[in-house]
Amino acid sequence: MSGSANVGVHVDHEQPEDPALLAEFQAKIDAGQLIEADDWMPAAYRKGMLMMAEHHANSEIIGALPEGEWITRAPSLRRKLALTAKVQDEVGHGQMLYRVSQDLGKTRDAMLRDLITGKTKYHNCFNYPAPTWGDIAMIQWLIDGAAIMNQKTLADGGYGPYVRTMRRINMEEAFHFKSGEDMVLTLMSGTERQKQLAQDAFDRWWGPSLMFFGPPDKPNAHQLPPMRWRMKTVTNDELRQRFVDRFVPAALDLGLKIHVVEKDERGYVTSRRPDEKIALNKATGHWEFTQPDWDEFFRVIRGNGPCNAKRLALRRLSYEQGRWVRQAVLSGSTALPPAA
Amino acid sequence: MPELPEHLKKPFINLLLAAADDKLFLGHRNSEWTGLGPILEEDIAFSALAQDEMAHASALYELAGAIDGRSADQLAFGRAPGEYRCAAIVEVPDEFDWATAMARRLFCNHFDVLRLTRLSMSVYKPLADLARRLAAEQQAHVQHVDDWTMRLGSGTPESHRRIQQAIEALARIAPQLFEPVERQDQLVAAGLYPGDDLEMYDAWRAAVEHVLGRGHLSARLDDFNPEERGGRRGVHTVHLAPMLDEMCEVYRLEPDAAW
Repeated sequence: MSGSANVGVHVDHEQPEDPALLAEFQAKIDAGQLIEADDWMPAAYRKGMLMMAEHHANSEIIGALPEGEWITRAPSLRRKLALTAKVQDEVGHGQMLYRVSQDLGKTRDAMLRDLITGKTKYHNCFNYPAPTWGDIAMIQWLIDGAAIMNQKTLADGGYGPYVRTMRRINMEEAFHFKSGEDMVLTLMSGTERQKQLAQDAFDRWWGPSLMFFGPPDKPNAHQLPPMRWRMKTVTNDELRQRFVDRFVPAALDLGLKIHVVEKDERGYVTSRRPDEKIALNKATGHWEFTQPDWDEFFRVIRGNGPCNAKRLALRRLSYEQGRWVRQAVLSGSTALPPAA
Repeated sequence: MPELPEHLKKPFINLLLAAADDKLFLGHRNSEWTGLGPILEEDIAFSALAQDEMAHASALYELAGAIDGRSADQLAFGRAPGEYRCAAIVEVPDEFDWATAMARRLFCNHFDVLRLTRLSMSVYKPLADLARRLAAEQQAHVQHVDDWTMRLGSGTPESHRRIQQAIEALARIAPQLFEPVERQDQLVAAGLYPGDDLEMYDAWRAAVEHVLGRGHLSARLDDFNPEERGGRRGVHTVHLAPMLDEMCEVYRLEPDAAW
């Protein structure tokens, strides 16, 4: 589901590299060629790509958790099947992205351990709660919609294995988005109670969706290594504006209201007022909107969000519960052959 | 739809519900692992199995609903606990224990492939056609669980101990899969569910014991007692009602609404 736009790749560009190799590498990038796993690459590029792919992989398997909780409560056979398949896809994306990361030099077990011990991060939006079925609809519509927007640009990147994985993931995400759109549309065409369920969930997820693309751009975003090396091709703010331009009119069409909200520490809305900035700026052709609460963003990313502890605890439980299984099937040397 | 004798309608619907309910709850219980499996690749595989079971259930509900006018969702979500016809083994939670999850599938999958084979010979053609298709998929499930059982049984001392314990625990209730639905003998006689329960039981036991033996495992499977009343006649474990409460939490908010 999740792109890695807010990973904040900090590439140490000062590390000395062979100038000739570096020039050749930059020329390849500038010519639009793909870098492959066994090509020469600057150490900082390898580190940055690993960080990006690993963060993305972590986000997929943590992202499976909030929706996974609702498989057993999905309200029809069709939705139950679709949600199981959807969460399964996310786990599959995690698997593909861990494979990309493994090729960059880190074992899967090391990555899973770093995730559950908090050494590495995952996408911030999964630290918010999904207390109703409405949240499941909004996650699939808004968050998957944001992910597609981000990942389409990542598929234009420069690292071959990651680019090919993005293309494949994007095809599946398109289905998730359609399913989310259908769920939101169904709720908004339903009873008063269903409409309220959708509006309340929209209020919870609008802020995290805007934050999805990461913090506001630094003034020199286009010159920094992630963009110079085509690890990223579009800045956070550019992506955010594309998202707003696509989703504000869609939400209004569906009858949803866009609010500026305050939340308690559990991530539940305590007050809301209409976002009075919402309007199409005819001069620029873009929709205006109120920025999300960036203090909240940094508080949550530092580990103090509503669900950080819960998500990591469940991943840790899964890791620990599965240890004996992995030992049994992955350490073939201790195994007895099947009896005759 | 082919004509069914009036007096066989209810037993026939119950036969379909028994198969559908087993699959719905097996899939439901297995889907609890989605995102939490012990190995990513297996997490993905296990979710596919869960989806197969739930999709099979859905197709069987459609068939049953075509006879009595209820939708598949009404049958899946809208009945009281006493109206379900599943066996005890799909009701018990696995407590997030992979050995229990696998042991459950071992007993259920081997049973299911035999049941589907019988159903594929039913004189009720829509059922026979459907069962043939489902049996082919179920065969892949059998292969998957057989492989896992053998690998855990011959893996490490810990995996052997865990899968052996899980097999023993579930072996006590597994034979209840064979409890007949009300008036099943009449369904057999009419060719709606051809075959013989005792022969099927022997075939099931032999298949399960073969796999267990290959994995250095064993189980004591008692002869089943058709008189003992259980899930096939609406007498359920304490686990069914809370599972239904969870499954129907959203559905019951607005049972008549589209979701």
